[in-house]
Amino acid sequence: MTQQQALASAFPAGTRVTRQAVFLTPEQASAAKKESGLEFNDRMIVRYTGVAGDRLLGYAYFDTHRVRTLPETIMVVITPEGTLGKIEILSFDEPPEYLPKPRWIDQFKRRRLDDDLSLKRAIRPISGASLSGRAIVNASRKVLALHRIIGGK
Amino acid sequence: MLKRIAGLALVLLTATSLFAQEASDLDRRLRALEEAVARLQPTQEVAELRRQIEVLSQEIESLKTRQQDDTSVAADTQQQGLGAAASKVYRVDQGISFGGYGEMLYENYAASSDAGVRTTTKDKFDMLRGVLYTGYKYNDRVLFNSEIEFEHGNTALGGEASVEFAYLDFLATRNVGVRTGLLLIPMGLVNEMHEPTTYLTARRSTVENAIIPTTWREMGAGVFGEHGPVSWRAYAVNSIRGDRFTSGGVRGGRQKGANSQIENIALTGRVDYAPFEGTVVGGSFFSGNTGQGNAVNGNEVDGNLTIFDLHGEAKFRGATVRALWAQATIDDVVELNALSSLTGNRSIGEELGGWYVEAGYDLSSLVPRFGESSLTPYLRYEQLDTQRSVPTGFSRNPASEQTIFTLGLQFRPVPQTVIKADYQNSDNEAGTGLDQWNIGIGYIF
Repeated sequence: MTQQQALASAFPAGTRVTRQAVFLTPEQASAAKKESGLEFNDRMIVRYTGVAGDRLLGYAYFDTHRVRTLPETIMVVITPEGTLGKIEILSFDEPPEYLPKPRWIDQFKRRRLDDDLSLKRAIRPISGASLSGRAIVNASRKVLALHRIIGGK
Repeated sequence: MLKRIAGLALVLLTATSLFAQEASDLDRRLRALEEAVARLQPTQEVAELRRQIEVLSQEIESLKTRQQDDTSVAADTQQQGLGAAASKVYRVDQGISFGGYGEMLYENYAASSDAGVRTTTKDKFDMLRGVLYTGYKYNDRVLFNSEIEFEHGNTALGGEASVEFAYLDFLATRNVGVRTGLLLIPMGLVNEMHEPTTYLTARRSTVENAIIPTTWREMGAGVFGEHGPVSWRAYAVNSIRGDRFTSGGVRGGRQKGANSQIENIALTGRVDYAPFEGTVVGGSFFSGNTGQGNAVNGNEVDGNLTIFDLHGEAKFRGATVRALWAQATIDDVVELNALSSLTGNRSIGEELGGWYVEAGYDLSSLVPRFGESSLTPYLRYEQLDTQRSVPTGFSRNPASEQTIFTLGLQFRPVPQTVIKADYQNSDNEAGTGLDQWNIGIGYIF
């Protein structure tokens, strides 16, 4: 799936999608790491804001990370309320048997950045593919934390 | 005259003064204009810098998301209704994948058996297995998967190097495909998912060693797929060799793709149902003759072997529960015994089976934001008998009826590494059970 196709799946046709590059201050990066509970080095964040008329539809972020030894790229959509919306896997380079299924990803809908957003708590693991599950949980936590730090539109 | 000259001088003076004032005003205005121009110049630079930053941010985004070409996502705004011809986010549609896992096992045996008989079994610390995984994805429809396994550290000292599996997948659709090669028999909980991080204990279940001879792989071909919460696999493979069965089960009959005899073909398959994420229940089977063309008294031996299992696994909020029941029946055991010169209580069982249940709880799940590490106490209870029944003229060995209770603790510094320590109380009807404690060290990458 291309980035454009992913964005097209995130927002309905006719949506005005604005690209914005955000450069984190050291304080913002530190706060995002603390909120997510993760270590990462991102300093430039790109987000796509979808607006239909004067109505905000949400924000889309793209994240690329390692699963086992190979990377995957996912799109994480945040609703205007700050909860997780759609998660779409754009590319997955590990063997297909480790690919998380759409039904597993559905668990993330409407979840907030809280302690329950964890494979040890509310997110059920994927049997035999725990690293795939962990990669998406961590990416979701990171994006939610960054979104909270950057602020809405 | 003087008055006229004075008047003219006054006019000139005034004019000069006015001119000077105007020149000064002009000069001031010119300077203001210059300052404005000077101010304008940096503004243009800022605009240019902003443009360059925007271009760089797009380039960085492309690198981060590994897009092969320009995604045509405009720098500022973009209307949806996008065409599908946009460049793709890089995928390994073609390419090698690589991984691996390994296990080290320390086993410390009790000095005497349950009956109090002193034993000579020596404690062991073994590089049990080191496995390298390689795959190659030719395109979205065709891929190759394999595992190369090294067991017990050194082939000159009793170790082995094996191809654990090697198969080609041809995907007809995203959810259905054909598989051929050296295939893992799709039975039980451990045979297909046998990495040390996927099960709780230091040693694999004895039921999934003696009744389902994990790790079990044979040459063959079949189909696999999934539809919603149901997944399935069905293969035709070379059957195993009945002339290598023992009183301890069918494990010795595995052919492992090593010049496999294929006078008999077996069918094997499984169906799993996942009612919700983290929980799966299912069943599997293997059925086929095992005589492989061997004859006793001029009659070809069929030696049909059929194994069934029912299994389930559930994981939620730190808790893990797994259970399995398996049963096998073997026909023509008298003839199979004759092929291997087995007599008395060394007979192959006509019926063998067992079950186990294991559970663990990750204590770190009780602590919010504990991090990736985990600490999980666990236990497993299993019963099995590899000679539930034997043919007339043979006898059962009471040692074949076993009960094993395992209690332990595993620690994962990171999810891909695990250290397990457990105690195993092994009983059998002969009283020769030997208790042991184990330390397992495992990794995947």
